[in-house]
Amino acid sequence: MRFLRRRPKIPPGLLRPRPPGKDLLRAVAVTTTFGDRTVLNGIDLAVRKGEIFVILGPSGCGKTTLLRHLSGMLEPTLGSITFEGRNLYLMPECELDRIRQRTGFSFQGGALLTSMSVLDNVILPLLENTDISPEIARQVGRMKLDMVGLLKAAEASPADLSGGMKKRAAIARAVSMDPELVFFDEPSAGLDPVTAAEVDNLILKLNKVFGITMVVVTHDIPSAFTIADRMMILHEGLVLAHGQRDEVRNSEDSTVQDFIHRALPAEEARRGEIMKYLAT
Amino acid sequence: MDSSAKSVRTLELPPLFDRSSVGTLQGEIESALEAEPDRILLDLGPVERFDSSGMALLIETLRKGRDRGIEIRLRGAGGGVLDFLSLLSVDRLVTVDRERDPRPWIVRLGAVFIPVLDSTESGLRLVGRAIVEFFRDLWTGKTMHRDRFLEEVSHAGNGGMGIVLLIGFLLGLILAMQAWIQLRVFGAVQYIADMVAVSVTREIGPLMAAILVAARSGSSIAAQLGTMTINEEVDALRQMGVHPMRYLVLPKMLALGLATPCLAILFCGAAILGGALFGILAVGIEPGVFLESTRKALKFADLLGCLLKAGVFGFLIASVGCSLGLNVKGGPEGVGRATTGAVVASIFLIIVFDAIFVLALRVSG
Repeated sequence: MRFLRRRPKIPPGLLRPRPPGKDLLRAVAVTTTFGDRTVLNGIDLAVRKGEIFVILGPSGCGKTTLLRHLSGMLEPTLGSITFEGRNLYLMPECELDRIRQRTGFSFQGGALLTSMSVLDNVILPLLENTDISPEIARQVGRMKLDMVGLLKAAEASPADLSGGMKKRAAIARAVSMDPELVFFDEPSAGLDPVTAAEVDNLILKLNKVFGITMVVVTHDIPSAFTIADRMMILHEGLVLAHGQRDEVRNSEDSTVQDFIHRALPAEEARRGEIMKYLAT
Repeated sequence: MDSSAKSVRTLELPPLFDRSSVGTLQGEIESALEAEPDRILLDLGPVERFDSSGMALLIETLRKGRDRGIEIRLRGAGGGVLDFLSLLSVDRLVTVDRERDPRPWIVRLGAVFIPVLDSTESGLRLVGRAIVEFFRDLWTGKTMHRDRFLEEVSHAGNGGMGIVLLIGFLLGLILAMQAWIQLRVFGAVQYIADMVAVSVTREIGPLMAAILVAARSGSSIAAQLGTMTINEEVDALRQMGVHPMRYLVLPKMLALGLATPCLAILFCGAAILGGALFGILAVGIEPGVFLESTRKALKFADLLGCLLKAGVFGFLIASVGCSLGLNVKGGPEGVGRATTGAVVASIFLIIVFDAIFVLALRVSG
């Protein structure tokens, strides 16, 4: 019954406030449509060097799409994404590849290559993008796996890992090239509260120790308020709130408070819908 | 159960408003709607128990009322009914779905052809990029993924060897048998060897080997890359700065381009052996005579053509499999579609290119 326990507290040393840094990544008026459906509607955001920026929102609000735009995977219908002032979607593919090598991505389901071991997954970017020898690459991989507590599973197949282990292996792979920026897609989704807190703790540690800038997409409200320096709440493709973690938490906007406190406005609205069919 | 007053009709719903009573009630409500009163009042007062079927009838009545311009009102709805309805978006459920206007024929035609053109375009783009990557690697001296290439060669070549040899042998046997039936009429059974050797090396060998490779390796490539695509593994590779083209596609294309000619030659060898076995054991041709006839019938140009054809077919199979696999959409069902599509499209292209080869060789003499 491990999952019924309360979320363990994050060590206070990891939660200190930090001075604002320079903008590393910026999105301007990002709008995305799939067919007739507008998924994102004029999103602006700036991610500063060294911070953890959290994009919070309910399922289906467009946050993963936004993360794919920010990471250079999917071009938005309108608007621009700039990394260090350069538009990701106007640069040649080889330059985008160079930027990708300076970033890491931790996918929601891990996206580990099932045809190779966990260690081989972690060292793949090193072997492909650098000239270091396989021996050194393996040692780097073992170090990264040790960092996320998975050294014992180095030779295991990704198929044999639990959900939490897959996430940690994906994080180890995302940081294998010592990136400046790491994107996390729902790092705590599908995990029990204890494992989710372990992943949060790991994200905070990596941010603190290596100064890695992080963009985290999540729908987990406690996790978002635990790790974020600054955050944005997305709702139906629009920005509901944006700012420092405490500014968002103390926002006077009732929709923001409803979302944070997990109110169910939809149910009230739906109850209203039937009222007009009742005979007076 | 019902009473009417001018243009208002009141229907009293029974205490058990569930699937046991919905059938009868539906008929009553339908006839009430057909009478086209201004208003229908559904009295939920007597309802003691209800289920989803009852609520579905209620919503359906609201929907039909809105569709026909009849005002439907609910009376005496208890807390349970209201709680149930508050879980639904009633407005959305009662909105009448108008059937879309039929699209003009040109649009419907486009809807059929545009996906085919799209997949052709992405296939050609993939082949173009693979060729560019190949020459860029040669130019920059980058080593290709030799281990992945050898793995693919082993999967396509070693893995397919057994079935290719077996089918080749049986097909050679059948060809010799058919040839014997025809040639014995003219007393020309010694030409069995020529017929088997020429037909197998010129046409059947590369064609059958390619079809077997399409069925075995083409489908497996599409399924593998399709699964990797839906599991975001391909995105992960791209995000790590590992180009899927160099890492996944190129080794497969080169491996099939190499393995298919090898399999075609093995197929030809096995077919000639099958034909020889029939000719020697069943027809009684001297082994030396059969061998000599085969040697004379086989021309170097035929063997070269066989290798060239098979190489192109292998490259085509890998291109189709990779293109369809990397463009999978729609989860496991999409993977299934890509796998089937890879085999069908590969075989179609093999036949088309075979015809082109025959024409080109005929023109070039």
